[in-house]
Amino acid sequence: MRNRLKVLRAERDWSQQDLAERLEVSRQSVNAIETGKYDPSLPLAFRIAELFGQPIEAIFLRD
Amino acid sequence: MARIMDKIAGRRPWMWALAFAGAMGIIAWFEHRHVLGGIRSLPFVAAGCLFLIPLAKSANNCASASGTLTLAMRRYNRRMMIWAVSYIVLLGTAMSIRNNLDPQGPLLWLIAVLPSLPILFFIWAMVRYLKEETDEYLRLRNTLNALFGLALLLGIGTFWGFLEAFKVVPHVDAWWVVPVWAMGMGLANVFQVVRDRKGDDQ
Repeated sequence: MRNRLKVLRAERDWSQQDLAERLEVSRQSVNAIETGKYDPSLPLAFRIAELFGQPIEAIFLRD
Repeated sequence: MARIMDKIAGRRPWMWALAFAGAMGIIAWFEHRHVLGGIRSLPFVAAGCLFLIPLAKSANNCASASGTLTLAMRRYNRRMMIWAVSYIVLLGTAMSIRNNLDPQGPLLWLIAVLPSLPILFFIWAMVRYLKEETDEYLRLRNTLNALFGLALLLGIGTFWGFLEAFKVVPHVDAWWVVPVWAMGMGLANVFQVVRDRKGDDQ
């Protein structure tokens, strides 16, 4: 699954660490999601969507 | 004291993991050459386990520097040090009782069981970590590490078991299972850490 996490983060000028702190996860988690190595669980995907104020399908895209 | 230990341990857990794996490898080689074997190997294995203390410290330092030291990981590392130290103490106690008192019957059973207790604690600590870790990615990563360790153990165990059955190789004591499993976990962790560096913005 592809995602727009890196773009959304860059728009807000957040580092991976900033985003990780806001989501209460490790920086490694943010990195793994961003690079497509890991697809987050539904609860985490909802938290990401809430944080960016966008629906899940606008952030996570099908291959 | 803690600060000195932190400095000695540094931020390179792989170095201590390598030292631990190297110590275990050397012991295995000496066993193969019949210089060591059975109970004679145990003090050397206990000494090799001393590397686990700076390993835990440096893992803490490394994770702390990269902002990934979760509460569960901190607890796991603390428990890891507890088991490593208690293993050395209990094994030393069991060995001296056996060598000096020549125990028989129930006491012999008791001292034979003593060194396995911290190892059981280590397995429990691993289970606790996986239950306590709230970061889902780290939980998955460490579960995969444990599974890789298990796969390596099953692979080597089966391979060696058949070689042993056909009397091609010497007997290996069953207590080697946990060190082999731990080495497998360590190897898998090194692979995951290297893979995760790609795309890391720090």
